[in-house]
Amino acid sequence: MSVDVTAEVRDLSYAEAIREALDIALATDDRVVLMGEDIGIYGGAFQVTGDLFEKYGADRVMDTPISELGGAGISVGAALTGLRPIFEFQFSDFATLAMEQIVNQAAKVRYMLGGTVSVPVVMRFPAGSGTGAAAQHSQSLEAWLGHVPGLKVVQPATPADAKGLLLAAIDDPDPVMIFEHKLLYKMKGGVPEGHYRTPIGKAAVRREGKDLTIVATSIMVHKALEAAETLAGIGIDAEVVDLRSIRPMDRETVLASVRKTGRLISVYEGVKTLGVGAEVSAMVAESDAFDFLDAPIIRLGGAESPVPYNPDLEKAVVPQVPDILEAARGLAAGSI
Amino acid sequence: MPIEVIMPKVDMDMSSGRIVTWHVAPGNRVEKGAPLFDIETDKAAMEIEAPSDGILHDPVDEGTDVPIGKPVAWLYADGEEIRSNGGGDAPRRLLGGESEPKPEPAPPPRPAPDRSVEKPAAKGIRATPLARKLAGEAGVELRDVEGTGARGRVQADDVERALEARSAAPVTPAPRTDAGPLAVTRSEGGAGMPIVLLHGFASDSASWALLERHLDDRPVIRVDLPAHGRSQPESIDSFAGLAAEVRRTIDSLGVEKVHLMGHSLGGALALALADTRARLVASLTLIAPAGLGPEIEGAVLDGIARASRAESLAPWLKRLVADEALVTDGYVRAAMAVRQDEARQSAQRALLGTLFPDGVQAFDLRAALGRVEMPARILWGRQDAIIPWQHALRAPGRVALHLLERIGHLPQIEAPEDVGKIVRAYL
Repeated sequence: MSVDVTAEVRDLSYAEAIREALDIALATDDRVVLMGEDIGIYGGAFQVTGDLFEKYGADRVMDTPISELGGAGISVGAALTGLRPIFEFQFSDFATLAMEQIVNQAAKVRYMLGGTVSVPVVMRFPAGSGTGAAAQHSQSLEAWLGHVPGLKVVQPATPADAKGLLLAAIDDPDPVMIFEHKLLYKMKGGVPEGHYRTPIGKAAVRREGKDLTIVATSIMVHKALEAAETLAGIGIDAEVVDLRSIRPMDRETVLASVRKTGRLISVYEGVKTLGVGAEVSAMVAESDAFDFLDAPIIRLGGAESPVPYNPDLEKAVVPQVPDILEAARGLAAGSI
Repeated sequence: MPIEVIMPKVDMDMSSGRIVTWHVAPGNRVEKGAPLFDIETDKAAMEIEAPSDGILHDPVDEGTDVPIGKPVAWLYADGEEIRSNGGGDAPRRLLGGESEPKPEPAPPPRPAPDRSVEKPAAKGIRATPLARKLAGEAGVELRDVEGTGARGRVQADDVERALEARSAAPVTPAPRTDAGPLAVTRSEGGAGMPIVLLHGFASDSASWALLERHLDDRPVIRVDLPAHGRSQPESIDSFAGLAAEVRRTIDSLGVEKVHLMGHSLGGALALALADTRARLVASLTLIAPAGLGPEIEGAVLDGIARASRAESLAPWLKRLVADEALVTDGYVRAAMAVRQDEARQSAQRALLGTLFPDGVQAFDLRAALGRVEMPARILWGRQDAIIPWQHALRAPGRVALHLLERIGHLPQIEAPEDVGKIVRAYL
């Protein structure tokens, strides 16, 4: 992270940190425009854009019709003409409506025109379960987009990274997809002032440990850290790696951690099968770190189910702290 | 018979050389020692002399790359019948070869070396990748390790426990050291005539461990040469003096008859012993033996004897084997660990200078090989980079030759199953 060490660090919420990044970008770069449904006067479905409409006006903070395909298409086109649009989805689930623009246009145009143009668009996706919004508003579809060459896909887990990754994404010449967990919007954390970038494609070791590695994404980083504290109390020293970016994925940081600990759990909210953790597991299994594994690799991912509306069931279909504890204890005890 | 001229090895890590120029035209006579051709390797150009008098035939084209040891031309005697490429199955008569060796049988086509003989067992064992890696590097058999993981899975800490137990316990079950001048380790148990094993230079009696498992549970007696293994450093003034030490040790064993096996320098000592104690030796097995010719890769022996740390030892150890992957970091560390005693190291260096001055084998046991009458066999890796396997061809016809493809100087370590199989057939 290129942080000015003299910059003051304040406690901001994740949503405030994103808003601050947007504010900085709008203030310092005339090419930056925000687009999205109800991001103007209403301030965004999750109140992320807040009062930016008042501050920058309708030319810079644009409400788009209720058509994700249309909005995504406008932002991709605007990016092609030299603007730096940031398009907000109300829910990441609606990426399904915009897949043509994301997958067939944004991700491909630079390649198909021989590098003569680029698509510097940023798309922000409020994602994940836990808000009681039911099956069509609670999914974690990051792995879908992570599968597409031409896109960059990040999942900030902290307010500081929410700001730093967004500013890095805005500067990036290629389309960057940011999956923001809805339950994190209110989470507070230290955020440096001013302009800084969190590098895309670089994981962060959130807690060092020697007994096992937990590679987590997004909100699962916090569950993993909570589990790690409990594990420390029973003599299990867990290392927690915040993947931060799933495309490109930080192979070196993950492998180095596994070489050190010999045990790997990957925790992610998306459906377990064919998910981010499957990629993490395969990456380790295919690498020289394989020889350092002293236990089977464990994936903790979302259940084979739509996300239920019932709050108890909603919790049950995604990995929770006790799930991580159980897996970690089993690995450490050699009983898995 | 024509004399084969082969691509010589003039450079440590050379695998092939390019023929740059022939100094003699085909059909013309050349005298031994006269410039015959120039070669070029990655590092150097060099003039090669004719190994013998003769008339040059079938030289390979200039500009051709030829692997070391492969023929580049044939030298014919006057009036000798000229056959294409030396006759194809022409005997490989090497320089100074006295006897008329049997034609070398065409090696049967052989698939990639099958090291799977042991694997079904190892595969059937539940073990983590890390446990396998550690066990492999430390030479621990997974089947000997008690797994404490799920369903008996062997984990890294299980291997570490086994290693600790091994270093606490003697190398072999209940060994005892005899009163002879050299350290002797006997295996407990086993039935039948014992096998006496003599290791090579800079090795020790532990180097037989892999092969021992394939010796049919025979009683095994392993000797540590002076300044090696558990034997004391002592001053040796000649090969004969060293052979006498070994002879005194064997004499003190109180055994009536043994199968005798030696590797490299140990092979030469075994041969010397068989020559002087013919009635004691029921059969003789020589693995890449020294003493059958002057050539030896002195630089490797020197490098091993001088190495003071794993980093400088590893490159030399890798030259001992055909498949460098066998020389793992763990293997090197273990090899270096037993080379920490300076008195012992300096005694080994002195021994090296005595036995192989200027990188030449200063003792010649071909006559002894001609004299011994017990059943004898020579095993040699065709990729031996230390002593040319072609020395084996100097053996009399009644000595069986086993030339192992894709094996270097340590067949007993590189292919213990194959070596065991061959040896068992003779027991």
